[in-house]
Amino acid sequence: MSIQATSASLAAEPRPTYGAKARPVWALLASPYALFLLVLLIVPFANVAFFSVHSYSPTKILLPELTFDNYRKLFDLYYLRLFGRTLRLGLITTVVCVLLGYPLAYFLARARPRVLAIGLFLLIMPLMVSTVIRVFGWIVILGRKGLVNQALVGLGLEPVKLLYTETAVVIGLVNIFLPFMVLPLMASIERIPPSLEEAAQNLGATWHQTFARVILPLSVPGLISGCLLVYSISISAFVTPALLGNSRERMAAQQIYDEVLVSFNWPSASSLALALVALTLVLMFWALFATRRAGRRERAA
Amino acid sequence: MSGRAPAALLPFVVLVYIGLLAPLVVVVAISFGPSEAFEFPPRGFTLHWFSEFFASKSFVDSFFRVSLMVGVLAAVLATLLGTAAAVALVRFRFFGREALETFFLLPLLVPEILLGAALYLLYARLSVQASIWTLLWGHLVICTPYVIRSVTAGLIGMDPRLEEAAMSLGATRLQAFFRVSLPLLRSSLLSGAIFAFIISFSDINLALFLSGPESTSLPVHLFSQIQWQGDPTIAAASSLQIVIIGTLILVVQRIFRLRLMV
Repeated sequence: MSIQATSASLAAEPRPTYGAKARPVWALLASPYALFLLVLLIVPFANVAFFSVHSYSPTKILLPELTFDNYRKLFDLYYLRLFGRTLRLGLITTVVCVLLGYPLAYFLARARPRVLAIGLFLLIMPLMVSTVIRVFGWIVILGRKGLVNQALVGLGLEPVKLLYTETAVVIGLVNIFLPFMVLPLMASIERIPPSLEEAAQNLGATWHQTFARVILPLSVPGLISGCLLVYSISISAFVTPALLGNSRERMAAQQIYDEVLVSFNWPSASSLALALVALTLVLMFWALFATRRAGRRERAA
Repeated sequence: MSGRAPAALLPFVVLVYIGLLAPLVVVVAISFGPSEAFEFPPRGFTLHWFSEFFASKSFVDSFFRVSLMVGVLAAVLATLLGTAAAVALVRFRFFGREALETFFLLPLLVPEILLGAALYLLYARLSVQASIWTLLWGHLVICTPYVIRSVTAGLIGMDPRLEEAAMSLGATRLQAFFRVSLPLLRSSLLSGAIFAFIISFSDINLALFLSGPESTSLPVHLFSQIQWQGDPTIAAASSLQIVIIGTLILVVQRIFRLRLMV
């Protein structure tokens, strides 16, 4: 599962109770998890970086000489296509999530508490169920004799091939990541006082004008962080394209999985993984700082 | 429509929710259906696939012996690690506090599938055999930030003067924390532990790399069953996961702010 960078709590100012003269108890408290992250997050990726500058050998884990071939290889046509497909599917997923998610976010942001509670439960519950289960549901719905094709046949139309296409992958990705669009957007729309909308309407603005001139501009921080989140999570998706997609049109994470567990070309997998993680971290930190900045501006106002 | 959600949006919103929930509804429905071929809507009602589930050693092992066990252990350990870290972040002021806070958030920013691959490569290089422990260590990395998040929120929402009052009445700092603060943090601790459990219980991205033949977690077992075109026992096992997670989310919504957790 993944992240929402809008956790206001973590951006809040600390309220220390113990003075500066206290012994460094904080170090004692923070070090277990810090050590954990060092050994199980930093070291593994340092190891990946190490693999990525060594050559593959079918007999040994790696050869001792340094090389940048694994990175040069990322510019081969095969890998460029892989990246192109991955980034394109991520982009389509993000756009569809905005189109479906914005009205939902607005609805929830302006809903009564009881409706909001039900809406949030129905949004977050499916998010927490394992990806593999939701994807399994789509296999049943989109399959040759699935719900969609039953409906088409019932209407006297030809059944269509949906499963194992890019369409199926996008449907799956949108279904899984939509909440990551809705939650930050909703947080940002909630901060817009309804009185602003009323004022615009009293001054003669139509609904469209109110939306385009008041709501949309003020919800931009939420929109940005929602888009960055959905985009960065969907470009590293594995289970959805692996089960709903075509095995010849793979996404980046599938390539990494195969190189690690099937062809055992760990140096090549490492350069690919490092490139993907670098891209994701840039997008995620952008989202994180965008929301933190918005939060600060909010408190300052 | 002053201030309230415009009713005009309602049909659209309902449609989006139908799309969002459709896969779960379908999975639960076919787990009660008699057909072997994932037929939706089901023609009839049977508990056959649930008895198949309990009769299958591989399903029962992956569900109870691996996923449930790793989930509970991850929840307990993540709560210990995360609570300590949250207290350090909220109650102390020190150089590099914000950097440490960002560092503790890092596991949420790294794609899980890549963390799984990186851990796999490290374990492989050190010749560590895959077991429920390799899986558990991996899960602790991604579960603990949820505890940190909930306990941080709980601590910030608490009046620090309560502890000061206890201390001025003669309690030591530790006594004040354990007798005054900890009981007040009950709901944020429980929510953090529940989320840590859910994250571990439903994780597939790390488990794909860190599960061994003797430690296949439920999601990984489901993944391979789906690839090998298994029968609706898949759906029965999935339904059980959906019920467990749905119930736990309801609990968190009752006792804490659900939105803060995601």
